[in-house]
Amino acid sequence: MNPEPFLQLDRVIHEKGRLAIMSMLAASPELSFTELRDTLGMTDGNVTTHIRTLQEAGYLSVTKSFQNNRPLTTCALTVAGKRAFTHYINLLERIIQQNKPK
Amino acid sequence: MESNWAAEHLQVIRTLMERAALYRRALAPIMIFNGVVGLAAATLGWGMQIGSPRGFILFWAGVGVVAVTGSFLLVRRQALKESEPFWSPPTRRVTQALLPPLVAGLLISAVLFLRCGSGPLYAVSNPALLWLPLSWVVLYGCAFHAAGFFMPRGMRLFGWAFIIGGCAIFAAGAAYGVTGLGCAHGIMGFFFGGLHLAYGVYLYLTEHRGNHA
Repeated sequence: MNPEPFLQLDRVIHEKGRLAIMSMLAASPELSFTELRDTLGMTDGNVTTHIRTLQEAGYLSVTKSFQNNRPLTTCALTVAGKRAFTHYINLLERIIQQNKPK
Repeated sequence: MESNWAAEHLQVIRTLMERAALYRRALAPIMIFNGVVGLAAATLGWGMQIGSPRGFILFWAGVGVVAVTGSFLLVRRQALKESEPFWSPPTRRVTQALLPPLVAGLLISAVLFLRCGSGPLYAVSNPALLWLPLSWVVLYGCAFHAAGFFMPRGMRLFGWAFIIGGCAIFAAGAAYGVTGLGCAHGIMGFFFGGLHLAYGVYLYLTEHRGNHA
């Protein structure tokens, strides 16, 4: 079995919480902090930490604004983030294909 | 082994992507509000004997404006309360899905409004006037069925209830020649009032149960 696809998996995305955030953002142009937190059932601190890690990797952009005097934080995937996520999915598919009985 | 792990990972990703695209606003207050408005309007319309085609169309168009405005304000209030954008991508998708059948209903009403006189609804020989409330019901059902692809909790079934119910009443009406003012307002009250209210109460009870679980 070729271990190459497995070794190529992006460690930043591979973590469970960050993969969940990336998956949700891949399906939506942007999502608010509270939408991510509530849908994934994470704590504020957890989401903040994962968002920061993804932001540092250049996969995610964060916009802070105000809506009716209330702070609104929205997140979106960057071009690099979309590319990395697509690559990650392709690798998973390669792993599945590779292990299929012939 | 590794293949199973990768397949499970892909399944989780797929589920999360589907969940991200769903409309998440609480629907119970919106449905209950629309149900109360529908029932009140049907009673009012029947009580005031609004029977001319133009009067009927204008009256229910006004009710529609009240219902849409109220729903809009309820959704906006929820979005503000949860610090989320009002015009979010799921809201946009739901609106886009709702629009075509609703626009069709509006155009049909406009054509009838322009072509019909102001005689009593039941006296007009044009059977289209019996069809009008039913065409609204069926088109409304189509709109909600389409939006149901982006909404959880049985919205498509709700759409089907309108479509099948509207067609069934149309078939019965055509067979037995059911017409009349009370019938037209009754159809509107039953579907836009009763069904909304029943679905809203169901959602309210199940949402509460879900929150406690």
